Amino acid sequence: MQRHIFVLIALFFVSCNAPETDRASSTEQYLIPATAEEILKHVKDADARVVLVNVWATWCPPCVEEFPDLMAVYNQYKDQGLKIVFISADSEGQADGAIAFLKAHGVDFPSYIKLKSDRAFINTLDPDWWGAIPATWLYDSAGNKRHFWLGKTSREQFEAKIRDVLMGGGQGVL
Amino acid sequence: MHKLLAIALVLAMGFNAEAGKSKTLALGAEAPVTDLEMKGTDGKMYTLESVQGEKGTLVIFSCNSCPWAVKWESRVASIGNAYLSKGFGVIVINPNDPRRAAEDGFDEMVARAKALSYEFPYVVDPASQVAHAFGASRTPEVFLFNAKGKLAYHGAIDDNASDANAVEAAYLKDALDALLAGEAISVSETKALGCSIKFNEDS
Repeated sequence: MQRHIFVLIALFFVSCNAPETDRASSTEQYLIPATAEEILKHVKDADARVVLVNVWATWCPPCVEEFPDLMAVYNQYKDQGLKIVFISADSEGQADGAIAFLKAHGVDFPSYIKLKSDRAFINTLDPDWWGAIPATWLYDSAGNKRHFWLGKTSREQFEAKIRDVLMGGGQGVL
Repeated sequence: MHKLLAIALVLAMGFNAEAGKSKTLALGAEAPVTDLEMKGTDGKMYTLESVQGEKGTLVIFSCNSCPWAVKWESRVASIGNAYLSKGFGVIVINPNDPRRAAEDGFDEMVARAKALSYEFPYVVDPASQVAHAFGASRTPEVFLFNAKGKLAYHGAIDDNASDANAVEAAYLKDALDALLAGEAISVSETKALGCSIKFNEDS
């Protein structure tokens, strides 16, 4: 039932934002319940040169502190091909708070909320990850994992790795 | 000179960026830093060696500030107290730097241990050294050693932080019972979402 409500919310925002030109300036966004498999598929299919995947939660203070830096990075590099996929680790009962938080930070693209058990979600998203958040991954245009940050990370640290990948450099695939 | 300074700064930043990414202790490994003294909320000093139990030793990295640690803390108290009386050594270690999380200050830890009626030590990890040595990354995170001192279980307390009544897999309790019965632990590694440890960045 909860999932259906989320899908309806998502569809509502999609339909409201139908004109592409309007969407860019809109502050509306939506929160889609998704499994790790669905999120990884989205990352692989993203038409982007670099994709940041960030797992956060409203109950996680360092995630909340880090969020403005992630949005600053997004705004700085989106025209160069950066996309960000935010995944909320909030429970479905906390989804309203997560949506309000995303809106307050100007997120105007689809975001996700974790489905399924922690264990399945963590193992599928990254078998090398033990579940601590905030956690952020950097993927290149081919969907290869290029970097992983655990814990609160600064704008400068994100930018250094993003620039590496955008310039075609950096260290190899993780 | 400026170049050297720049290199030093980059190295320092790199070190901090890597905080919490130490290699996690593997199953079968022995506990590291067993002689490191840690201050308990009762004012006494403890080492991992001093809390070893005849049946095994339960080490939990937890804290006051993480909402998920808080959700599990009453279960930490009941499991810890119960298995302490069954011959296990039990210790809960707070690895967070209180400068980064005020709720993890010593006085706050004393109050929490008292409120939860911990019968086992709740100690400060000096400069996050123990967490680094274990390769721990989050709170709460469990490391259970068997009677021979080998890591037998690592991971979550159970499969439901939010609701103790809805737990379907009581990983830690099952592992403790298996050790007591001299049986194999059926699930020896599990994962759960939790708060990243707020490491002391000076260490």
